[in-house]
Amino acid sequence: MARESSPALEVEDLTVAYSEQPVLWDIDLVVPTGDTMAIVGPNGAGKSTLIKAAMGLIPAVAGEVRVFGRPFAKGRGEIAYVPQRASLEWDFPTDVLDVVTMGTYGSLGWFRRPGAGERDRARAALEEVAMGAFERRPIAQLSGGQQQRVLLARALVQQAPILMLDEPFQGVDAPTERAIVAVLDRLSDEGKTVVVVHHDLQTVPEYFDSVLLLNVRAIDAGPVAEVFTEENLRLTFGGRVGVLAQIAAAESGG
Amino acid sequence: MELFSDYTLRVVALGSGVLGAAAGALGSFAYLRRQSLVGDALSHAALPGIAVAFLLTGSKAPLTIMLGAALAGWLATLAVGLVVRRSRVPYDSALGMSLAVFFGIGLVLLTVIQKRPDAAQAGLESFLFGQAASLLREDVVAMSALGAACLLLLGLLWKEFKLLSFDSEFASSLGRSVGRLDGLFTLLLVIAVVIGLRTVGVVLMSAMVVAPAAAARQLTDRLAPMVALATAIGVFSGVTGAVLSSLIPRLPTGPTIVLVLSSVVAISLVFAPRRGLLWRWISLGRLAPSAALDPVLMHLYALAQQHPGEPDHGHGIAVLRTMSPAGVDLDQVLENLRSRGLVERVDEGLWAPTAIGRREAERHLASQNEAAS
Amino acid sequence: MTMKTRVVSLFAIPLLLVACGGPLQDAAPADGPIRVVATTTIVGDLVRTVGGDSVDLTILMGAGVDPHLYKPSAGDVRTMATAQVVVYNGLHLEGKMTEVLEEMGGRGVEVVAVAEYLDPKALLPIEGFDELHDPHVWFDIELWQQAAACLRDELVRIDPDHADGYRARGDAFIAELAELDGWVEERIGSLPEARRVLVTAHDAFEYFGRAYGIEVRGLLGVSTAAEAGTADVQQLAAFIAERKLPAVFVESSVPPRYVEALTEAVAARGGEVTIGGSLYSDALGSPGGPAETYVGTVRTNVDTIVGALAE
Repeated sequence: MARESSPALEVEDLTVAYSEQPVLWDIDLVVPTGDTMAIVGPNGAGKSTLIKAAMGLIPAVAGEVRVFGRPFAKGRGEIAYVPQRASLEWDFPTDVLDVVTMGTYGSLGWFRRPGAGERDRARAALEEVAMGAFERRPIAQLSGGQQQRVLLARALVQQAPILMLDEPFQGVDAPTERAIVAVLDRLSDEGKTVVVVHHDLQTVPEYFDSVLLLNVRAIDAGPVAEVFTEENLRLTFGGRVGVLAQIAAAESGG
Repeated sequence: MELFSDYTLRVVALGSGVLGAAAGALGSFAYLRRQSLVGDALSHAALPGIAVAFLLTGSKAPLTIMLGAALAGWLATLAVGLVVRRSRVPYDSALGMSLAVFFGIGLVLLTVIQKRPDAAQAGLESFLFGQAASLLREDVVAMSALGAACLLLLGLLWKEFKLLSFDSEFASSLGRSVGRLDGLFTLLLVIAVVIGLRTVGVVLMSAMVVAPAAAARQLTDRLAPMVALATAIGVFSGVTGAVLSSLIPRLPTGPTIVLVLSSVVAISLVFAPRRGLLWRWISLGRLAPSAALDPVLMHLYALAQQHPGEPDHGHGIAVLRTMSPAGVDLDQVLENLRSRGLVERVDEGLWAPTAIGRREAERHLASQNEAAS
Repeated sequence: MTMKTRVVSLFAIPLLLVACGGPLQDAAPADGPIRVVATTTIVGDLVRTVGGDSVDLTILMGAGVDPHLYKPSAGDVRTMATAQVVVYNGLHLEGKMTEVLEEMGGRGVEVVAVAEYLDPKALLPIEGFDELHDPHVWFDIELWQQAAACLRDELVRIDPDHADGYRARGDAFIAELAELDGWVEERIGSLPEARRVLVTAHDAFEYFGRAYGIEVRGLLGVSTAAEAGTADVQQLAAFIAERKLPAVFVESSVPPRYVEALTEAVAARGGEVTIGGSLYSDALGSPGGPAETYVGTVRTNVDTIVGALAE
């Protein structure tokens, strides 16, 4: 069947521009099913843009996205999205459970209300991210790490085979980082595909199977061991890599 | 309640109440989406719509007027969208421009229309500030029908609007058409605005959309209660305004409604628990010890530690200033600490912690170390 | 052209346009009619009657236009500035034109406010405003006779060449008004006392009430720019129901809504009041109809009132 043999995500020729300035240029990417991939690059490289354009959240000048071999429009239900937590207005009058329950809205129609079943799924997802005790907490009172875990739980509720996360480790505390990594491991064990925009080069080899090096263009992509080299990092980051390159070199056995 | 046995009051109160409910409910979502100005723009844009509707049809029927107003409001939002997409103009600037331009066109049209012999009869000027006391049965019927439709749709689409307001990107990722939802929301808002035109008029309508939501937000942290409260506040203001205007002669109803509403907002802003100004002012006095004051005490303690055996060795404010963030009013903080017996002024401009102050500092440090381990 | 030159030229264009506008005041042709601008149709009727062929008259507000709310356009200002005389009612009837009218005086245009020539002791005060008077003076025919006399004298002063014509026409009109006055008194007198109550949209008819012995109530107060409160509607509705009045009246230059709301309120109280007709309050009727002149309007109004209240 097409689904099994196709990679989870295929991106072809994706180009995004803001008023004629290319932000993403001609991106080709294949994310194999079951892979946990990091997207790294300097500021302004287009990492968030790539995820958003792939999800159809911002318009692309050119390019095509396929999900399990099917066109994106048909396959969008297979992807769960975790946006950057800073892009949300957290001073919104609602509680944690309510936000996580929003993840179930996709399966309800326009007019059906979430019921007990939906809320139970939400609770289970909260337990997974170690936020079970915070069900009724107003989201305005959450710390950064807690916010991140809530957004992750919301995506987990969708039970989608593919997850795309935008900078989930940005500015979170240690317990949150541990919780997220635990979830990534679990997802990987279950054969789910995870794509993460990541800012911390040091943890790339530890957390991820493969990596995409991005700087407006795709520099290189593939298994960490092969691709995460000093040479590639220098190409991506333009020579300001130093210590991290040494670590990368050490990890890849070079 | 024999007050309400009077026909006129019943009519005016009903109309004002319906307006308050619709404006409060929809205004809540506009508020949460940071789009309160849209209500203002829509109501000002309604003026040329009313004028054109009259010019084209010569009719003053409520539905004709409302249709004209609604279409003009719709056009205004389209214009704003166009400007934002095609230029670098930020959203609220575009809204402000649209508001001013449409309203200006409306005023020009009024001046043109005033020369027509049937113009004064149409009473288009009355749409500026409303003429609530002249509400007829046919007006209130139309208003109630529209208001009920509005609230019903809001109820049906509750979770969609909640999602749209909190995280429209996520909504998009679920496959929801954000454009369509946004359009629907704007339509409901337009209807709410149009309901209010006869009662409070074009200029004051924006208050009805913004104020109940603002007041309600201070009072609760959950969405359903907030919208319910905003609706209730809207209804309360509308009805109370009508009642007051019926008790005091020569008191125009529309402005009175808005005044009542403003009072409610003011009270809410000041007295709301947790978010209110009064509350925060009081609790700052209580919470302060662990918040802004301790750092200065801790700085003094740290400085004192560098001079063991010299408890009276004071340090100047200048030194403290380099250790504190920019906005801290050191004089006030030190005065407060001194009145609590935690620091003393050992010499002109030199400060040191007292014995009590030192103990407090040590206790604080100990508890911090405990928490960290 | 350099950028700077272009920018400067751009600024020069409006300046040139203004400069080429020419003097605003053209000299009057030696024997021709003088150019006169009147604000309301009522004042206009007075000017036309007394002025006759010696004046070239322009009236700013048409039939059905509300003078309390009327805002002059730029065209109106130009028309006034190029006239020799501007005649208006005064006493703030043309409420939104005060500044413009003052400015006309400054520009050398002769400005005549007919109501302001009247003896203040004869004027009615406005409730709550000590220095202001009710401007609806034309409803008292005697007062309007005095206004006609004043206009006649002013025209004689401004345009002495045609003095004879002005005096003749002015005196004839004053005589006609005397006859009208008698007729109105008789007609109103024919109503039973209990029925002599006139309820209208705004307080335009106070002078009428005082002159002819009829009680007058308006919903909106002296100016239509005000907004009535719910209490005002309630109180008036209670009054109407109590006195068992058969009819209330809408006005041609005021939206009928308020009066409609009033009738609904009275009906709810068990009263039976209808709209007795439309009165010409702040403007004359349309040209070509019976009410196109002042005299015609007065007759039509009185017929409407008496016809409805006599039921």
